[in-house]
Amino acid sequence: MASAAAPPAAPNSLSLPPSQFARLQPHAYLLAHLSPPPAINQPSIRANGRAASQFRVTSANAGSLTHTNGSAVVRLGDTTAVCGVRAEILHTDDIASWSVSQSTNANKRRRLADSEKPTDESDDAEDEEDRAHVEDLNLLVPNISLSTGCAPGFIPSAPPSALAQSLSHQILSLLHTTRMVRAEDLRIWYQPPNLGPEELERHNEEEQMDVDAGQGLEEESKPAEIKAFWVLYIDIMLISLAGNPFDAAWAATLAALRDTKLPQAWWDIDNETIFCSDKVTESRKLSLRGLPIASSFCVFEADAAAGWRAVVIPDAEEQKALEKKGSQQKWILADPDGYEEGLSQERVCIVVDKEENGKGKTVVVKMEKHGGWTVDSDDLRQLVDVSASRWEEMKRILDQC
Amino acid sequence: MVGPTASLSTLSRADGSACYKCPTTGYDLLGAVNAPIELPARRDALKPEEATVEVFVKPGNTTAGVGERYVEGILRSVLTKVVLGRERGFPRRGVVITLAIVGGETVTRGDSYLTILPALLHTSLLALLSAAVPLSMTFSATLLGVNKSGEIIPDVSVTDAKSVSSLHVLAFTSKNHLLLNKSEGRFDFDTWEKVREHALSICRKNTIFNLDGDVAMGDGEESESQGFIRETVEDRLEKDYMWKIDSV
Amino acid sequence: MNDRRRVNGPPGGTRPPVYASLLQSGTGAGDRAQRQRQPTELRKIFLKTGLIPSASGSSYLEFEPSASLAAARANPKSLIPPSSALKLACTVHGPKPLPRSAAFSPNLVLTTHVKFAPFAARKRKGHVRDSSERDLGVHLETALRGAIIAERWPKSGLDITITILEAEDDRWWGDAPDSHDASWGMMNVLAGCISAASAAIADAHIDCLDLVSGGVAALVSDDSTESPSTAPKLMLDSDPAEHRSIVSACVVAYMPARDEITELWLKGDSSKASLAEGDERSGHEALIDGAVNAARGAHTVLAEAVRESLQKALGQS
Repeated sequence: MASAAAPPAAPNSLSLPPSQFARLQPHAYLLAHLSPPPAINQPSIRANGRAASQFRVTSANAGSLTHTNGSAVVRLGDTTAVCGVRAEILHTDDIASWSVSQSTNANKRRRLADSEKPTDESDDAEDEEDRAHVEDLNLLVPNISLSTGCAPGFIPSAPPSALAQSLSHQILSLLHTTRMVRAEDLRIWYQPPNLGPEELERHNEEEQMDVDAGQGLEEESKPAEIKAFWVLYIDIMLISLAGNPFDAAWAATLAALRDTKLPQAWWDIDNETIFCSDKVTESRKLSLRGLPIASSFCVFEADAAAGWRAVVIPDAEEQKALEKKGSQQKWILADPDGYEEGLSQERVCIVVDKEENGKGKTVVVKMEKHGGWTVDSDDLRQLVDVSASRWEEMKRILDQC
Repeated sequence: MVGPTASLSTLSRADGSACYKCPTTGYDLLGAVNAPIELPARRDALKPEEATVEVFVKPGNTTAGVGERYVEGILRSVLTKVVLGRERGFPRRGVVITLAIVGGETVTRGDSYLTILPALLHTSLLALLSAAVPLSMTFSATLLGVNKSGEIIPDVSVTDAKSVSSLHVLAFTSKNHLLLNKSEGRFDFDTWEKVREHALSICRKNTIFNLDGDVAMGDGEESESQGFIRETVEDRLEKDYMWKIDSV
Repeated sequence: MNDRRRVNGPPGGTRPPVYASLLQSGTGAGDRAQRQRQPTELRKIFLKTGLIPSASGSSYLEFEPSASLAAARANPKSLIPPSSALKLACTVHGPKPLPRSAAFSPNLVLTTHVKFAPFAARKRKGHVRDSSERDLGVHLETALRGAIIAERWPKSGLDITITILEAEDDRWWGDAPDSHDASWGMMNVLAGCISAASAAIADAHIDCLDLVSGGVAALVSDDSTESPSTAPKLMLDSDPAEHRSIVSACVVAYMPARDEITELWLKGDSSKASLAEGDERSGHEALIDGAVNAARGAHTVLAEAVRESLQKALGQS
């Protein structure tokens, strides 16, 4: 690596160690790696030794934190994110608009509750309900903290920086658009007993059962009602930040949600509150929809001054032609580290999922690019393919953890 | 279809400003630009060789939250690329763009801001033009939805946006580069390419540039995006130079 | 409540789950974790430096989970953990120039921040530092200030940030809060913070008089069922979840080479203690000696971690 780092232009008398050169002339340093002069016969490689579409070594570890319902640590090279999911209870009494909204479609809910395992067909009908409950009631609360001393720029104990805020928003937005968490998993049902004399006596033993299995037995009884919701507080601490915080944070969120167990909960009519069972056998995992995996890229341009002088910007068509005949003008770097992020403005983030647990076709869930104009459909097509193979890799890592 | 309406330099104290109304989504925006101005409070953050672009988005009826920070970041990265921050007088100074959402649906918690993004982009561009900030190119943006049967729906309203299977915002520069893409929902890449073609044709509709920069409007029936922006600016110029045109 | 810089939860607020088994006291939640260690035996400490490359120095510290916690992890039965084990990450940034606005200082200006992750403790912590976190920060600063040779870096600042991912419990889950109840877990957390910060400072190559390490000792009355006659016993490195009631506890920051204590925090009533025959020490003296012994134990781990860090640094250059 040291030999590749030597700048081709620097005369020997003035040569600097690679680390110094990297600091003084970061752009030229990275460029020298990516487009080495033909004389030294080196392949194009990033300053950190990776190929352009190579991600850093990723590892994930779930369930090591005691006080959480689900937790995960994801290491993406030197970027480390710890995510803990804590579930708390939101009583419907505490929801201001609840009594109004629920009376209108109580019957519909009842019907949905009957379908035990949500199938693909019922998904559509369920979607709107799902969205309304999860999004309007704020049942998912993700927050990213960067004030952990993860990088020198962030002042600890200061309010979240603009970056932290925008990352929190992206996680929330992605959780909402992918509809990964099912509202049914978060509902706590209550089956009011028939107020016949014998029912009254034994409803204490019964209701615990009623929550999940009782509907079939008591066809005549009142419709089951939602008494409370689980609210998932998803807190992500970035312990170490060396570029690409979003991929790490999202992977940690995903792994933690896959690890999350919610206790069995029921409405206790005598105490008028929700009680939970602490038995692991009675708790259940979340049944998440799909496995969206995020891949981020940054674009490194050969001309450092590109984009600020009006006269030099060619038309889109001209630019394509130019790229074909001329030397490479830009490199799309997967999973950028902090050094590379500092040298590029244009960012691409692609979130893909695969249907039928990896056997189906690739579905793009989110595709975002901003900050420049060099990436167009041809590049994006390649990046979607890269993201799809990254999906395979991440699935393997997440399944093992 | 009713196109958007806009007017320039509506605020007298800002260097440049623009009002923008989009009837399909119902958003009503007011943008103001101050540039170049000194930013003494950010001495450490200023770049020595170019201008610092700052964007602030203010929702109409609440305080700004995390979502606004996010959309500000997107706008900043797009506008930094277009503003010629190395022109004389700009380095070490700030270009401050404030966008107020005056009317329209409230953007809810966790919402992706896709429906309002084209309006925000157009408003900031018009305000920048009104403040005579040097730009490398202009751009235009559009919002497209794809419904469950795979049809592309232009002019997505806020209520439509909830029912489509995927939603896309694309922005193209006046030289046909893809400047911004934000897509959400479930879609495959072939669908996106169709969306891209469609978006490009919307953004470029009715505007053919001659070499000297004059614009020849096609049949002039409707002026979208690029053409629309040009028209707004021309209207304003005509008004400002009324005295001169009259005297000729 | 409504924090516009963060994603907020439901406006009506939420309640933590209530486990039915804990309401019928003593049943369901399993048995209290029992201390398997000797009174003078310390828990193992995992300490590693240099895990956060963007910082000038960093360390990660983890206490060995208690026997009951390890058993519960291997074979989970109840969602209620029997105890918890400290996990924290520490970063050091600096020495760096002081901000323009700061006043002149002939010495290194030390700032310490201790923050619990929201999921670190049994009760969900807020995002803004509360008084106990500020308190820990101040204690940590005193502990370290005595060890750092501050006059070697005039006009410079050193930021020490500790993120606690998992804190020690203040008491066992099954126990109701009572008069003996205080934030005993805090003392273990502070001891961990001191050792971790010391390792991170060494990793950042800041000159110190000695490696300062933290240790905890406590007077606990365990087996006695409400009989106040039996005097409390001295335990080193006590885990509050393993004892019925802690009468008093002490944490020290100690430098073995100079036999110096830079920080001492003693809490509770130490007047009654059952010590060995012929031991003339008073309760608090025994407590402090115990804490110092625990700190000596932590020091060996610390020295090993710093040696590793140094070897890595030498290997690189």
